[in-house]
Amino acid sequence: MVTAGAMPRVVGGATVDLADVQGNILRGYRKARVRHLVVCVTDARRGRAWIAAASARDAMDGARITDGGDWSRPPDTCFNVGLTATGMRALGVPDRIVRTFPAPWQQGMAARATIIGDWGDSDPAHWHARYRDSVSLHLIVSLHADTTALLDEIERAAMALPGGDALRIIGRDEGHRFEGGAVHFGYRDNIAQPRFEGITHPGKYDDQPRAPLGTILLGYDTDMQELRWSLPDPAVLGFNGAFNAYRVLEQDVAGFEAFLDRAADEVLRSPDADELLPPGSDSDVGGGGATRRAAMREVVAAKLMGRWRNGTPLSVSPAHPSQPGVPTNDFDYVDDPQGLKCPYGSHIRRGNPRGGKIVQRVSNHTRRLVRRGFPYGPPYDPARPDTIERGLLGNFLCANLEAQFEAVMYDWLNLGLLDPRLLGSNDPLVGVNDETAGWFRLPTRQGTIILRGIPRLVRTRGGAYTFLPGMSALRWIGSFQG
Amino acid sequence: MNALIGWFKHILGRVVVRVWSWLHPTTPLPGGPRTSRQLTDNVMRTMNLVMPLKDKTAIGRARAALVIGSSLDEIYSGLDNVGTVHVARFCIVDNNLLMFSLYDGDFHTYIRDFIVTLGHAFDAVVELIEDTPPTPCWLHVDEFIEWVHRHDALQLPDSPGDLIELVAPGLTNLEDLSRYLVLQLDSNPNVQLGSYRSYPGHSVAEVREKLGVGW
Repeated sequence: MVTAGAMPRVVGGATVDLADVQGNILRGYRKARVRHLVVCVTDARRGRAWIAAASARDAMDGARITDGGDWSRPPDTCFNVGLTATGMRALGVPDRIVRTFPAPWQQGMAARATIIGDWGDSDPAHWHARYRDSVSLHLIVSLHADTTALLDEIERAAMALPGGDALRIIGRDEGHRFEGGAVHFGYRDNIAQPRFEGITHPGKYDDQPRAPLGTILLGYDTDMQELRWSLPDPAVLGFNGAFNAYRVLEQDVAGFEAFLDRAADEVLRSPDADELLPPGSDSDVGGGGATRRAAMREVVAAKLMGRWRNGTPLSVSPAHPSQPGVPTNDFDYVDDPQGLKCPYGSHIRRGNPRGGKIVQRVSNHTRRLVRRGFPYGPPYDPARPDTIERGLLGNFLCANLEAQFEAVMYDWLNLGLLDPRLLGSNDPLVGVNDETAGWFRLPTRQGTIILRGIPRLVRTRGGAYTFLPGMSALRWIGSFQG
Repeated sequence: MNALIGWFKHILGRVVVRVWSWLHPTTPLPGGPRTSRQLTDNVMRTMNLVMPLKDKTAIGRARAALVIGSSLDEIYSGLDNVGTVHVARFCIVDNNLLMFSLYDGDFHTYIRDFIVTLGHAFDAVVELIEDTPPTPCWLHVDEFIEWVHRHDALQLPDSPGDLIELVAPGLTNLEDLSRYLVLQLDSNPNVQLGSYRSYPGHSVAEVREKLGVGW
């Protein structure tokens, strides 16, 4: 067992003191609702008092930052805190210390817009006001519970802690689970997560290599041979912490469904249509009584994602989505170099190429992210079209924003550098597409169908790079005397 | 007489530049390529590392030649594994060890993958350089990348508009451009003036695939 008071660098077969790690990093809370509070700290001393109270070992359970320790009785409400660089300064942590953190976090998400594809109508200038003013964006306080009443309760309790008067809530993002774990484009989400060495219970692993703890936490070995991420100074501030790219991603559901209509018609006109949707399989693919066009829409949706909308991976079940008992995460692309089962340009293959062949051959498993997402806004009803904003509140957690989140966004999802057949294309679902230029390769045994005119389906509406300090680090901040 | 005038201009130039730089302190611009949304700017990017040797004698240069020479196989194999490097070469010019390369994608990713694949070999190389970064470099990756970034020469844009935007963003009088440029080059003596690419917009992997040599 390693505690934060011990040597803050753990190598070889490391275990971690989960009670020193914020719970939302390594635990999926599985609550029905989330509320992210965007908070400005108005007084450094009082703000530190709040951090101290919220992270104190003897704090009341409901108003204490949730750690990942004892999970024998999961709490009804969970409460976590991420700090921006301006937030750490606003709490009175000296600039000389903040400057020992990695540059992307210091600069903030908006300053990295070009790298992560936030341009055009995703440009920070178009973000919600609470995210545009990065000077006032200090904390993201994340609350999880099964009901709105419980969220209200934990919010009141958290803000009533000593020093809570120094926190000004400048915005709230509310998310809630949809039935079956689906998100707005209709896909089941939150399926594939990295499994960490020494964390997951035996028997729960998929076929992917277990990720070293340094993939998600500072202070541990990484997946890059002997390479390790630097800890800030003092090391206690970084140890057991993780970085989070928090994103408010608006999804254009109507645009997505309209694209599926167009793409299905195009594929149906192709000589390869019967290979992709064998005659007689319309009901297996599209559900009972589905038309051929409706079934082909589902084929296209699956090819874009790499999974059928019910979560079944194409790599496991390329012909249809309904195979009970099919593992949802136990597959690889090694046996599918041509992308005949799962296209090499599909969303899940670009974001995590697993063991498949890629150009950057030392990077296959090194950019894993823990993803925790909730839909926001009401489900889209095509019978009653509306213009209500809806999308995903996404948390993309990692130990190094530049080497993991930004590298995935920059050269896998948007540049297509991982495969020469993809260069110059963007991810079909979340990429920076433009209807006049976006394209997607749909490989078949006879050749390739190129779907053109892919619109931009996801737009960034806000976000922040935050650091989720370990519990000892929070107590260090709380007790900092300036 | 001409020699005297030339000498006078030389001295005057040095004095004027010192006065200018005292009146207008200029922060050296970072080296390497700038972020861009264009595909053609994101592949076949250039890196021009200029690393002053500690030992500026023939013995020092010979030591550098031997260290690089004895590591070449490992370095070539490492660059091959990075997967995004078109060409790379090492030279010694005027007591500087130079590493020039053409690569695809993000600079930080390139250097990070470079360390992962041949960090051991590069540790011996950086020991030859004046301001050695903390070693071993794979344990100080952020510092190492920053060190490489500092030694990567400033890249002056090809187009005049971009040049103004870079070296004189607040320029109101075009006649002042040369002064801004002189001040920048005073604080930033190593620069790339242009780079020709015969197949812009193509990655290493694309070229290798087309040539049938595997990627």
